[in-house]
Amino acid sequence: MADPWQECMDYAVILARQAGEMIREALKNKMDVMIKSSPADLVTVTDQKVEKMLMSSIKEKYPYHSFIGEESVASGEKTVFTEQPTWIIDPIDGTTNFVHRFPFVAVSIGFVVNKEMEFGVVYSCVEDKMYTGRKGKGAFCNGQKLRVSQQEDITKSLLVTELGSSRKPETLRIVLSNMERLCSIPIHGIRSVGTAAVNMCLVATGGADAYYEMGIHCWDMAGAGIIVIEAGGVLLDVTGGPFDLMSRRIIAASNIALAERIAKELEIIPLQRDDES
Amino acid sequence: MKPNSEEEEELVQGVGPWDECFEVAVQLALRAGQIIRKALTEEKHVSTKTSAADLVTETDHRVEDLIVSELRKRFPSHRFIAEEATASGAKCVLTHSPTWIIDPIDGTCNFVHRFPTVAVSIGFAVHQELEFGVIHHCTEERLYTGRRGQGAFCNGQRLQVSRETDLAKALVLTEIGPKRDPDTLKVFLSNMERLLHAKAHGVRVIGSSTLALCYLASGAADAYYQFGLHCWDLAAATVIIREAGGIVIDTSGGPLDLMSCRVVAAGTREMAVLIAQALQTINYGRDDEK
Repeated sequence: MADPWQECMDYAVILARQAGEMIREALKNKMDVMIKSSPADLVTVTDQKVEKMLMSSIKEKYPYHSFIGEESVASGEKTVFTEQPTWIIDPIDGTTNFVHRFPFVAVSIGFVVNKEMEFGVVYSCVEDKMYTGRKGKGAFCNGQKLRVSQQEDITKSLLVTELGSSRKPETLRIVLSNMERLCSIPIHGIRSVGTAAVNMCLVATGGADAYYEMGIHCWDMAGAGIIVIEAGGVLLDVTGGPFDLMSRRIIAASNIALAERIAKELEIIPLQRDDES
Repeated sequence: MKPNSEEEEELVQGVGPWDECFEVAVQLALRAGQIIRKALTEEKHVSTKTSAADLVTETDHRVEDLIVSELRKRFPSHRFIAEEATASGAKCVLTHSPTWIIDPIDGTCNFVHRFPTVAVSIGFAVHQELEFGVIHHCTEERLYTGRRGQGAFCNGQRLQVSRETDLAKALVLTEIGPKRDPDTLKVFLSNMERLLHAKAHGVRVIGSSTLALCYLASGAADAYYQFGLHCWDLAAATVIIREAGGIVIDTSGGPLDLMSCRVVAAGTREMAVLIAQALQTINYGRDDEK
């Protein structure tokens, strides 16, 4: 039997490029910006249009597959996670960057079968970097094979994370105190480029040693998660337990020693799961 | 993308007394970029300077030596302020002489880790006034330039800052600086917290002051602030931002002092003042006092 998921992945790459073109075109024009869960949780018409294009293109070709998309969920669609082949889509990861034209904006497409990540495509469309990963087949950026770093010593590590979109005082306090504890170890530094998917791809390239965040969603992680794993990295929950795509928490690291060391420093932020409502 | 040489040539022809210096700076920045890109793929010997997070490699030294020696040959009466020479004990003093202010690798920690945000920065001042700046984004091969009175460009494309005046709609860039003692970390993080409580859209950290300042010049962010950077981080970028229509001032809200190890830059004066008002000071001393 032919490999059915390779065809899906090839199609995902084509669609990611099309979405990238829509995004780059929209960057040339004035945008109307709307707010979702907080004053820093932004959405534009382009997010909605790109997702609609992606959803309809996939449904046309694969009418029996399932879909989870950021803007569909924002419109009230319920997230139901099953064994079905499922496309998990973030049309614009880094909407705040997009609004400001900060050059790290990604289309993220994750494909999950039997609740296991099968392939992921993350297209950083301003930089024109196409990241791909497929289970058992490796991870690549523009055709170049990716390998995570070899750094196990946290005092020589470079981490990536984000401050998040919540502006609630208690949440901000925890986010910043986590950062303070990590910086105090010490580590070499913390970077934030403004998109979870690109942050994770930077771990896959070895340009950063680990990424952690709480408050993100399954669509932020589903594309890049398999890219990190196929580059030789690991995914963990922020408690040090197994990674759970719906938990809204992640440590993506070059190795388990570093991931567990980071987990030791993190205070947990209470969050509603993506599969709760 | 390579620089748009036609537009660059048009820019430099017969328009000022420092043309030759500017052209040489561009060529040296591009050559340095080649050396850095090659070195990115190689194993590195890393040393520390003022703290465990303040790194230097042999490539920093090699690039600086190349730039300074070439400039000395061509302009033997000029003076130099360069990061690694200063680390080796050279005095950091800005006089009225034509002075080159050089950062061979801005983003050394990124360079060591292969985080793809590394720059060469070359600034030039005469009578203590900044005349031009050249910053080369080595991994993306973008050349940012600014000359006093002649505009700012990236690969030939003219740059324009953001016009945003509302902190609640701002994307802010910063860097943590090399000091990592508990008191400094607390102030650094509480400064970020204050901006977030003011509902800023977000804070980004990319690991290179010069490139963050170039993003500001291109309108891709609304403000930048930092404690603990140096005159070589600031000199070239300050011209580029000002020529893109932006503001560069001290964190106190007063005029920029290149030697003070602190800066606020923004697309508008209103934004710069709002950022300055939000900040608690971190004391790093002065470049001309060390």
